[in-house]
Amino acid sequence: MTEIVEILTSILSGSVILSTPILFSSLGEIYDERAGVLNLGIEAIMSLTAFVALWVAYSTGSYLLGTLAAIFAGGLIALIHSFACVTIGINQLISGLLIITLADGIANFGYRSLPVTPTIEPLKPINIPGLSQIPVLGPILFQHNIFVYLAILFAIIFGFILYKTTWGLKIRGAGENPVACDAAGINVNRIRYLCVILSGVMAGFGGAFLSLGYIGLYGRGLAGGRGWIAIIVVILSRWSPYRAILGSLIFGLGYSIASNLIGIGVGVSQYFLLMLPYIIALIVISFMFKRTKGPSALTVPYRRK
Amino acid sequence: MAARFEKYIAYPIGLLVALFIFSAILLVMGFNPISSLGAILYGSFGTIFSAGETFVRVTPLLLSALAFLIAFKARFLNIGVEGQLYMGALTAYLVAAQMEGLPAVLSIPLITLASFMGGVAWLAIPLVLKIKLEINEIFPTVVMNFIAMFIISWLCTGPIKDPGALNPQTRVIPQMTWLPLIIPGTRLHVGIIFAFFLAFLMYLILYQTILGYQIRAVGLSSKAAKHGGINLSKSILSVGILSGGLAGLAGMVEVAGTQHLLIEGFSPGFGYQGIAIAALGGFHPIGVVLGSIFFSILLIGGETMQRGDGVPIDMIHILQAVLVLSVLIVQTWITMRRRT
Repeated sequence: MTEIVEILTSILSGSVILSTPILFSSLGEIYDERAGVLNLGIEAIMSLTAFVALWVAYSTGSYLLGTLAAIFAGGLIALIHSFACVTIGINQLISGLLIITLADGIANFGYRSLPVTPTIEPLKPINIPGLSQIPVLGPILFQHNIFVYLAILFAIIFGFILYKTTWGLKIRGAGENPVACDAAGINVNRIRYLCVILSGVMAGFGGAFLSLGYIGLYGRGLAGGRGWIAIIVVILSRWSPYRAILGSLIFGLGYSIASNLIGIGVGVSQYFLLMLPYIIALIVISFMFKRTKGPSALTVPYRRK
Repeated sequence: MAARFEKYIAYPIGLLVALFIFSAILLVMGFNPISSLGAILYGSFGTIFSAGETFVRVTPLLLSALAFLIAFKARFLNIGVEGQLYMGALTAYLVAAQMEGLPAVLSIPLITLASFMGGVAWLAIPLVLKIKLEINEIFPTVVMNFIAMFIISWLCTGPIKDPGALNPQTRVIPQMTWLPLIIPGTRLHVGIIFAFFLAFLMYLILYQTILGYQIRAVGLSSKAAKHGGINLSKSILSVGILSGGLAGLAGMVEVAGTQHLLIEGFSPGFGYQGIAIAALGGFHPIGVVLGSIFFSILLIGGETMQRGDGVPIDMIHILQAVLVLSVLIVQTWITMRRRT
């Protein structure tokens, strides 16, 4: 009995941890799409920023510098996407897919150019005093590293800004009705620029979490589909930062079940277990994506007539 | 005439931008860009064998690009070419492995058909979701890629693994099922002729048939096409079958033409490169032929660059992405300026 509780606790705790990179990236993508731009490059931006975070943290010994470098790199690569899509107006989907080739290329090139193979000890968990001592619930919710708490905090702040402030109104306006926004004296394309860059920055947090807070090393295609899952979470949560917490947890659970069961060894090929998050994704898409309506001006470039 | 010319000026500009960034990065990293470019050219065309290798690589790239292209013409974004390619390779392998003793004239068409169907089967779920439930195809196709990779990994490490091999790979398929070679001293097989023929066929379908007209109409405006009496579901179904099938064929040429067995993770991202090639080729079959040859030169030459100069081949992917992005940016910028 205690063994089963232990496994369940481990699975649930793991799902909170593994939902973190997905939540970070989906929050940025929510703002980005709310403002009318789709960024399909998230997957590779996460891999790239994971590499940058690892490399900088490894050479300076500072996790903070590593994280800052990661979000800077994420913002920078997203800037290319915003220039291509917002200023010039090339097809956002194609641009996002090319960003994937670019970001993966830079990450792998950088990694293979290093004279050493950087590894780092993943960040230690911070036990919240008092709360972390609660049986079962404590390990699940209150014994995580700083990134995990930060992601939840970001979700709440992002939700508040989006729904309760003028900034949020402007962002939603830029994606719903850019013409009216422009008429009201709001610079639509500036908002879009900022939101695209934000999507890169948030993917940078996600990437930094993966290398500094979870795996401690880099490998080709490190994000392993989490960037795509993040964009699926955006739609699943109907572009709401609050609901994104729940959406990320569903997939966090899938990843966690897989890694826990592989750890235990259940007699099923590990590849079937690794498939789990993607099977969940396929089910979610098939049953939850009917009649979803995103921001009206999503993927439509805005130009003054 | 001026407009036609303007459309192409984006290519030299894009190439200059890409070469500039390529050289800048290499200089910063302490490599010699001139020597690297020389290695790319020599590696891709320096000998008969290397030229053969370049065209061996063109085959899956071209088929992948055509697969993406035909679907994109109807604005169906098949990002799942990579997964369909793997499934085509798998079905090609499974059928080929049963063909011991059968003459090539019989076995090769059967393998081709099997791979086509394997690719289509892997697109079936996203296609049904799109047609029946109007669910955007981007995410289901991507998800299917990941599932395909895991299935191939499972099979190549377990059920169909060659027990004698250390690596996750299958046994070699019977020699009668190998695609015939066409130039002595190279590994170039008949798949390249097949791929060029399919590119030409796609040109004819797109621009000379009613089906092609309907596909392009749906791509330009699905609403207008619908009002014009075009059956949207039927058009999407047609491009879906062609796209998945072509992706499956891309897997087949690798198994039956080049490697003669199925290896876990054998594709270095053909499916994703096909997207970049389709964009570079202006989403036109002939442009895509040229684009695949150019990409192949970079990739095959890049391997020589990696061996000789020690520049990681990932530099080539950076070069490709910068090139295509620059070309698209310049093209769009020119059109935008003309309109205003």
